[in-house]
Amino acid sequence: MSSGDPKRTGRAKGYLQAFLFLLPGLILILLFFLAPVIITAVMGFTNMDYRFQWNFIGLGNFFRMADDFLIPKILINTLVYTFGTLAIFNVTFGLILALLTTSISERVGLFFRALWLLPRFTPPVVYAAIWLWILSPTRNGLLNGLRVAMGLRPIAWISQFPWGVIIITNGIIGASMGMLIFTSAIKAIPRDYLWAARVDGASWFQEVRHIVLPLIRWPLMFITAYQTLSLLTSYEYILLITQGGPFHASEVWSLYAYNKAFSAYAGTYEFGYAAALATVLVLIGTVASIAYWKIFRFREMMAQPRIEVS
Amino acid sequence: MASIRLERLTKKFGKVVAVNNLNLEVRDGEFIALLGPSGCGKTTTLLMIAGIYRPTEGNIYFDDVLVNDVAPKDRYVGLVFQSYALYPHMRVYDNIAFPLKLAKVPRKEIDRKVHEVAKLTKIEELLDRMPGQLSGGQQQRVALCRALVKEPEILLLDEPLSNLDARLRIETRAEIKRLQRELGITSILVTHDQVEALTMSERVAVMHQGVLQQYGPPDELYDRPRNLFVASFIGDPPMNLIPVEFKKTDGKPALVTDSFVLPLAEAWGEVLGQMDQGEFTLGIRPEDVRLSTEKEGNALLGEVFLTEPLGGGTLVHFRFGEISFRVLAPREIKVDVGDKLWIIPDQEKLHLFTKDGLSVREVGRQDAH
Amino acid sequence: MATHRFTPGSLERERRKQKLLRFSMYVFLILASLPIVVGYLWLFVGAFTGNLVYGFVPQELTVANWSFLWESPSPAWPNIWRTFANTFFLAAGVTVIMVVVSTSAAYVVSRMYFPGRSMILASTLILHAFPAITLLIALYYILRTLGLLDSLWGVILVRAGLMVPFGIWVMKGFFDDIPWDIEMSALIDGATRFQTFWKVMLPLVKPGIAAIAVFAFMAGWAEYIFLVTFVRDPNSWTLSSYINAIIGNYRFTNYGLLAAVSLFYMFPVLLFFLLTQKLLMKVTVGGIKGGR
Repeated sequence: MSSGDPKRTGRAKGYLQAFLFLLPGLILILLFFLAPVIITAVMGFTNMDYRFQWNFIGLGNFFRMADDFLIPKILINTLVYTFGTLAIFNVTFGLILALLTTSISERVGLFFRALWLLPRFTPPVVYAAIWLWILSPTRNGLLNGLRVAMGLRPIAWISQFPWGVIIITNGIIGASMGMLIFTSAIKAIPRDYLWAARVDGASWFQEVRHIVLPLIRWPLMFITAYQTLSLLTSYEYILLITQGGPFHASEVWSLYAYNKAFSAYAGTYEFGYAAALATVLVLIGTVASIAYWKIFRFREMMAQPRIEVS
Repeated sequence: MASIRLERLTKKFGKVVAVNNLNLEVRDGEFIALLGPSGCGKTTTLLMIAGIYRPTEGNIYFDDVLVNDVAPKDRYVGLVFQSYALYPHMRVYDNIAFPLKLAKVPRKEIDRKVHEVAKLTKIEELLDRMPGQLSGGQQQRVALCRALVKEPEILLLDEPLSNLDARLRIETRAEIKRLQRELGITSILVTHDQVEALTMSERVAVMHQGVLQQYGPPDELYDRPRNLFVASFIGDPPMNLIPVEFKKTDGKPALVTDSFVLPLAEAWGEVLGQMDQGEFTLGIRPEDVRLSTEKEGNALLGEVFLTEPLGGGTLVHFRFGEISFRVLAPREIKVDVGDKLWIIPDQEKLHLFTKDGLSVREVGRQDAH
Repeated sequence: MATHRFTPGSLERERRKQKLLRFSMYVFLILASLPIVVGYLWLFVGAFTGNLVYGFVPQELTVANWSFLWESPSPAWPNIWRTFANTFFLAAGVTVIMVVVSTSAAYVVSRMYFPGRSMILASTLILHAFPAITLLIALYYILRTLGLLDSLWGVILVRAGLMVPFGIWVMKGFFDDIPWDIEMSALIDGATRFQTFWKVMLPLVKPGIAAIAVFAFMAGWAEYIFLVTFVRDPNSWTLSSYINAIIGNYRFTNYGLLAAVSLFYMFPVLLFFLLTQKLLMKVTVGGIKGGR
């Protein structure tokens, strides 16, 4: 009994064990998640460049942003890209795919869902390569090959339709997330509801409109909010396919920040300014999340299932 | 209203046969029940009648019109689900109005009909609520309203009472029966509860493993079960079923087991004597037995093993070797464990089944054909 | 009421409507999926044929596009097999680290009490709100400070670290599903907590480990953005860097080479995908629901 309270040492030993199990995860998360968040926020107040010196310049980067003549264009690009892709593909197309693939035979439905999921797991460079072939400005690409075969002149698709290109190429990947979530939500609807509707005289379209859509309202809103954030910050495919061009016509906010930091053509590595741009983007994302929270009344939606259980 | 005829109806899910060669007729305005343990194919049958499932083989006729390929919405059936399936995002009013809305009935007409049917089932004050705010019994009535509002030819009820508590179940039972009589609507009730089936319907179809066992009025099922399954399934407390051998000792017919010998009435002796087998299953309902302290007629002596007071009477358990035997004794008779009593079965109400499980009466009837 | 409301005349019409609806569903799905099908088809056709007439009509069969396997198309580029080995090393490294780290952390989070447990759970959720990609600049700074720039180890650690919260959430779900009784009876039978974890719990969450391993491997194998940003040295290139270079050098010209290398790169992905697509769908949905 002299060696202290055995209960306490036992508990301390338990904590130590838990801590050891957690340690590798904590280190990784701290180093590559938490630390970057803080460093980004602080770096935004410096004019750090390739020399990596912490020269604090107060709000300098943010004043510069206000004067940056490219910012309005990039803001518009970001909005069109984010909400265009969201509205056409990530939500609408994802929903249509989910509705159709759950209405036809299960095996065929599964095949189409797998087909649409494939791009998400394809290495980005390969996915980009495929699109660069389809959209090639030369007659060796698919679309221009078709035009030439019909006796038309080739078109520089990417320069002509930069917005369309980034929306479609990202949308085909983006639709699969909504598709999967909606599919599992649709499958979770008790079939009694659908049978009742069928006996009540509902056609497929009426079933979808009156029963399915209202019952998957929550995943619909969730995907809308969640994918807004994903789209706001995704630029990998744009970088690969259009590189933001021509002349910033398809450059979105996150890509602009990336280019400011790492692009060779700028000559200097403007880490400070880029970090400030990233910080603003995170702020925009936060505001969007709060807005969605209010508009969709997520709190209410989360409480609803409790009432639904009878 | 409509009559229903099922002809050689079969439904297979892959290799599993859910319903096997079912023939059934329901008269116009009749209330029948499909009764059986879970998985016996009764709900599958109901969903085929509603048009949700397509029969693998066989035909369904409404009023002698073949409806196999008619869409559910064109069958004029109302369906009440076990889960009620009230659309959780619609008010009670909208739930009830839904079938009418889909049928493009004018709004005023919808309003009138919804209120009419709500009045009929006494839920008028609930019309503005959401389904989640209702009690089980209220939900049940809303589901009934939704089924009735389109004035269906046929009402299908899938275990409509199983989610209600015991008291409410008895009230609702009477309520549904009243409605059915008032509207004169042809109705099919699916249930696993024999009390429900026997009290509510005019005829009961007992199903087991996809096969129809017996179809007839409740009394017939109770008094003349066609086979062992029906005999064991119908009746509460259940019928005593004992494997016996038929023998004649000293020229007198008797049923013999390792533990007792039950003398038989002469009439039974004649029937069983004509059969080409000696092994039977004896069925005696606990309520078809008298207990006495003195030997009377064809009786056997037993020792009381356990008693269960049931309120209205006492369930007395006897034990003969491996065989246990239940007798429902009236309240007035005082019985204690260890008492030795004479068990006197009502010879008229004995049931005897052949090795194949068929009632001896049934075999006789088939021979007569 | 009419005696015969059940006119079988409605059935033909109803059936035809149903058929038409089904048919148009298939037509829509096929048309909408055409770009995907054509795109992946091109990988195969383009890789094994010479120049495609009009961009899509194959002429003669050839393996000329595959010469990169024995002869580098550019003197500045590394050997393809070395690149392939790098890619595998990266994918395997991410997989091992992410699986080990998130499984052990998930066990603690799911099964042990310790101060700050709920805080850790909440913070993994909040961190997900910060898109990894916006942290790239700071990550560059951190790797540079740690001396891990231009090294595959840096990319492995960053990618694994960013996937760990996802892994923890998925694995926590699997651990949560194991009845407490099993673990308690192991403890009563005389196992230490660690033995319980190693001998009783781990075998039971094998499906979960398989799921996040597949996920991590696919992510590591496909890694692009961290690689081109953090690694310049050709000796540390992966197939992503290789194709990136082809796109950069021969933009809009050598489609045969592009298709061949892409197919070479895609091959394990396609194989994995065909074998595990159902699992991938489940984990994608599960990860999202877990708070990703």
